[in-house]
Amino acid sequence: MSRGFNQLLDAVVRIDVREIAFEAGAKRYASSIGSGVILSADGLVLTNAHVASPRAVEFSITLSSLERVGAKLVGWDHWTDLALLRIDMDEAKRRGLKFSHADFGDSDKLYPGQTVIAVGTPYGLSRTVTRGIVSNKSQYLEDVRGVNGYETGMFNTWLQTDAAINPGNSGGPLVTEDGKVIGISTRGFSGANNLGFAIPSSTARRVVAGLVQAGTITRSYIGIVPTPLQDFETFFALALNRGMLIGSVELGSPAAKAGLRGSDILLALDGTKVDGRFPEQLPAIQNLIASQPVGASLTLTVKRGTETGDFIVITEKLESRVGEEWALEKWGLSVRKVSRAYARRNQLEDASGVIVIGVQPGFPADAAGLSRDDIIIKINQQPVASLEVIKAAQASYEAKPAPTLFEAQRNRRVSLYILKP
Amino acid sequence: MTTSASPCRSLLAGHSRNFRRAAWPASRLRPVALGLCFLVTRALAAELPTLWAERIKCIVAVEYVTETETERQPTIAMGTVIDANGTIIIPSGAIDPRAATWQLKDFMVYLPGDATSTPAEYLGQDAFTGWHFVRAGEKPRAHLMPVTAFAAKGAPPVPALAEFVWGLGLRTKDEDFAPYLMQSHVALIQSLPQRTAISQQEVAGPGLPVFNRDGTLIGLAAASFGQSYLQFGRNNRPNPVLLINVEESSAFLLAEEMLPHLHRIPKNVSGRPLAWLGAYGLEAMDREVAKFLKLAAQSGAVVSEVLEGSPAEKAGLKNRDIILALDGKPLPQLKPDRVVVTYIEREVERRAPGDLLALTVLRGGERVELKAMLGEEPKLLREAMRKYFDRLGLTAREFVYGDAIDRHVKAAETAGVVAHLVKPSGPAAIAGLRVDDWVKEIDGVEVKSFADATAKLAEIERDQARPEFVLLVSRGGETAVLRVKLK
Repeated sequence: MSRGFNQLLDAVVRIDVREIAFEAGAKRYASSIGSGVILSADGLVLTNAHVASPRAVEFSITLSSLERVGAKLVGWDHWTDLALLRIDMDEAKRRGLKFSHADFGDSDKLYPGQTVIAVGTPYGLSRTVTRGIVSNKSQYLEDVRGVNGYETGMFNTWLQTDAAINPGNSGGPLVTEDGKVIGISTRGFSGANNLGFAIPSSTARRVVAGLVQAGTITRSYIGIVPTPLQDFETFFALALNRGMLIGSVELGSPAAKAGLRGSDILLALDGTKVDGRFPEQLPAIQNLIASQPVGASLTLTVKRGTETGDFIVITEKLESRVGEEWALEKWGLSVRKVSRAYARRNQLEDASGVIVIGVQPGFPADAAGLSRDDIIIKINQQPVASLEVIKAAQASYEAKPAPTLFEAQRNRRVSLYILKP
Repeated sequence: MTTSASPCRSLLAGHSRNFRRAAWPASRLRPVALGLCFLVTRALAAELPTLWAERIKCIVAVEYVTETETERQPTIAMGTVIDANGTIIIPSGAIDPRAATWQLKDFMVYLPGDATSTPAEYLGQDAFTGWHFVRAGEKPRAHLMPVTAFAAKGAPPVPALAEFVWGLGLRTKDEDFAPYLMQSHVALIQSLPQRTAISQQEVAGPGLPVFNRDGTLIGLAAASFGQSYLQFGRNNRPNPVLLINVEESSAFLLAEEMLPHLHRIPKNVSGRPLAWLGAYGLEAMDREVAKFLKLAAQSGAVVSEVLEGSPAEKAGLKNRDIILALDGKPLPQLKPDRVVVTYIEREVERRAPGDLLALTVLRGGERVELKAMLGEEPKLLREAMRKYFDRLGLTAREFVYGDAIDRHVKAAETAGVVAHLVKPSGPAAIAGLRVDDWVKEIDGVEVKSFADATAKLAEIERDQARPEFVLLVSRGGETAVLRVKLK
């Protein structure tokens, strides 16, 4: 193998994660493993968002020298399933730990059939190298379950390879024969043979830069659900290679406010022609919208029926449907903040309140009758505008246990509950 | 007493959900040993068979057909004769509330033990009692006797705890609806909110009368309730199952809950006028909450939403008000807690549009007095216009007020039609259309009204050369463009 490849091997690490889960009315710890690749001499490690998330409380990196060192989360981006860690450099210096780092290659220059190699620690096995070819350069892969419930995959296509990618390979690099990182191995298709998927380096490179700078990627959002136009061209009387079908418009979103609606055909964005006839063409269009500054004014050229016109849409910040989670252990109650997307989807008046994501049997919340998917609106008549309100209520309950009145909503039906000590 | 919780639960399940319990497909055979009941009866009292023979004249079996776009579904229910005009009441659950009244056809009446049937007329449902009224033809009337003939003079007797009670049952169609006798003892009397006796065993077929030892009418059997059993498998752990007897019931409304309402024969088949308040999603509170709100021994119900344009809205009722009293009468504390919701609904249903209803509500710690003038219930789903398009494989239904409520949109601002039926494997089904999808555009043109939609769909259906058409549908707040291929 080439010198570059040997250097790459030394940059691949195993990541052990201990993370907290709030689901069952209590805080519980779980551990998992993944792979990662060191990107710089100052200890940046790139991995998947489904390996390293803000829920993690401890990271342990196993270097190629079989030394273990701690790390901290620099930032994560579940939309592209990427996360960035930094090795505890003080510890590394103190212990005199050495490691090498890998360089990105250009995923856009790959060709189908080109040899690629996946490196990682599948199932926690020590460094494992598998070889395959590029099966597809820009595969569209929709995953409604997302990254632990967080949305993913709208803004990038995937590198598809037949190199074996198994659980535990996640976050490890997919490289060319000279050891350049052209993708981050992310998922396989369970039950299928040799269908592995990696985030292309063109996406990763951009995300890494953003995470180093801000710890998060800020994107714009307008609330349209793009749908491939696929053989609807005749029906909509469109010129060849043109247009994207807006399947749906999120209620209350900027696009809805601008007057857009389902079955509109998007022809151009700020004058840039749009071609979204096939699923694999959609992420680029989504990304074009996402990369606008938040609050920007976008001109959407739209065909509706026989008419074509412009709509001005003011973008808003993209937010996840998954809100922050917490466990109120004295009550045996796990909650998640209602997000803007959740509130719109469920036609709530606003994004206040918290969703019950779990109750512990026999604890006060369960005894009072609260259950999963209830939305807690008020506690002791006080609106639950943020997680802090419910945390404060629990603190005062802990200090002086007393019956507490909850107002909660289930399928639009409002009920009252008393949580007793 | 493991069964004591479940009886109340299913009794409360309401009219609609009990549909399958009160009625069963005519085709199913149910072999059950009958002789046993008769033997026990004789041993108890010599004159019971005489009383029984007189009283079987006040019960009948009613058969009708629900005719949908693609099938005819026969249903059999048991009924009690209530007057000399051959008027019969059958339980609320005997007819699917989703069925349009014009889909209910071929009502027939069978006398007990008689294989011949005679045509009958469907008179409609009374909202307050939930009963459906049917009228037998002239011919069988001579053989019928109203159940009121066996009612006590004066106040109807209330059976005492442990009192012996008996009632009537009817076998299946294959057995010529042979009448039989059931007997039991009163185990419990509950307010649900109607005063309901629960007997130790099944005492009558749902919808059939119950008598005391003297043969005096003491009640009408309600839909039966579930009993919890454990099912043991060879290799599995015991599995709790809820069994419901659809032919026999051990719960009956006391005569005092039945006799005063027999006159409520609907004036028309739609059951209108129907009183309407418009307080949506009433939720009962438990005693802990009542105690916390310092409500002493009474109950309350939270109004989840006040419906747009409703009498409740006009009266000034607000979302999340807590109803405490109706016409100055505090809401009673009933068990289970949620019975209070039925209590409120019945208080509305017993009134007529135009009646005043005074509401006392708790709003942010303050008591507020409101006066609502009840209105006429907006067009119901079962009254909505529908049209079936066989070649397209769908039934378009008029968008009614309830559809707007379900979809959280303003009724006044809506158009479109609802897919009421999607024929399995039909063109619309293959394109992805589902029941209850809200069709907003047809071929890129907005649907303005039901007439507009049906005209457009009829035109598409007629055009044999047309290869496809396109629908814009809304489902759960999201839209989708569906392409329906006809060739």
